[in-house]
Amino acid sequence: MSACGRTAQLESIVTGEAGASLAAELRAHASSCPRCRHELNWLKTEAKLFRERAAREEVAQLWQGVAARRELPEERPWSRVLVALAAMVLVLLGAGRLALNARSTAGHDVSGVSDDLAMSEALMSPALTQEERENCSKLPDGIGFRCEPAIPASFIASR
Amino acid sequence: MRRAQAGESAAFKALFERHVVGVRRFLRDLLRDKHQADDATQESFARAHAQLTKLVDHDRFKPWMLGIARNVAFEARRVRQHEPIEHEDDEGTPDAVIPSPDPEAVLLDRELDKHFTEALGVLSDKRRAALLMRIDHGLSYEDIAAEFGWSIPTVKNEIHRARLKLRAALLPHVGAGGRS
Repeated sequence: MSACGRTAQLESIVTGEAGASLAAELRAHASSCPRCRHELNWLKTEAKLFRERAAREEVAQLWQGVAARRELPEERPWSRVLVALAAMVLVLLGAGRLALNARSTAGHDVSGVSDDLAMSEALMSPALTQEERENCSKLPDGIGFRCEPAIPASFIASR
Repeated sequence: MRRAQAGESAAFKALFERHVVGVRRFLRDLLRDKHQADDATQESFARAHAQLTKLVDHDRFKPWMLGIARNVAFEARRVRQHEPIEHEDDEGTPDAVIPSPDPEAVLLDRELDKHFTEALGVLSDKRRAALLMRIDHGLSYEDIAAEFGWSIPTVKNEIHRARLKLRAALLPHVGAGGRS
């Protein structure tokens, strides 16, 4: 095979340094030039082998070693989990508190809004409000309490 | 990069995560030992962290990092084997044109991977480092010349000779379907 002045340019095809038009031109040239076709085959083979090796690369957990050598603050993987859990607990507590407040407010508005609505809510929710707890008194014998029903018997009978 | 240079460890960790796979592969190819490559990778990034403020051109982080890794690998080899870095040996470098393979037919199975690693091993240290920087890590000839302190024609010549040796070692294992 005789030397060709374009052989040195072929590498730019596999590295992507050649633009689309130059790459097409070089490929067309290589198809008719034995020397360049041979070189291009090798360049493509090398690039393919290196690419396939790179795709298999696995990296061990190496950051800890770097952090230890440079005394860098090391992020603990479980710290993020703890922060997430704490945030979740706070959200749940907040939501519960809001729900209690809403229920309490609804209890205050019974007379102003709708007796039926307030009673329905009272039936569905077993939680006692402060007023309901205060509706109990000690029995005369000193054992146990007697509580006035929070829901009037007339309301229950009407259902 | 600026945040990493200002001492923000999270920013340096981001740089580490972006480059660690390539640096570790480069070191494994130079040292040919997985555990030494892991150790050298950590040492390379630790040195990079210590010297990060010296890097003026932020776009050159990759060649700069591979330059540090190459120095770490050469030092490790001296310590490991009490032997100097191999000098270029052009004996056995084929001058004749080697038959070419069919790139479409070549598949990197476990056997070929082993032969490929052995073929890289026949290259001298500096030549292998230059070849890897060019083919595997995509550095420009200019960047490689700057890292080695070589002229660009020298880099091209070294990589050309490395390629010829690599091809001669690979040839029995990749076939010669595209023989011309």
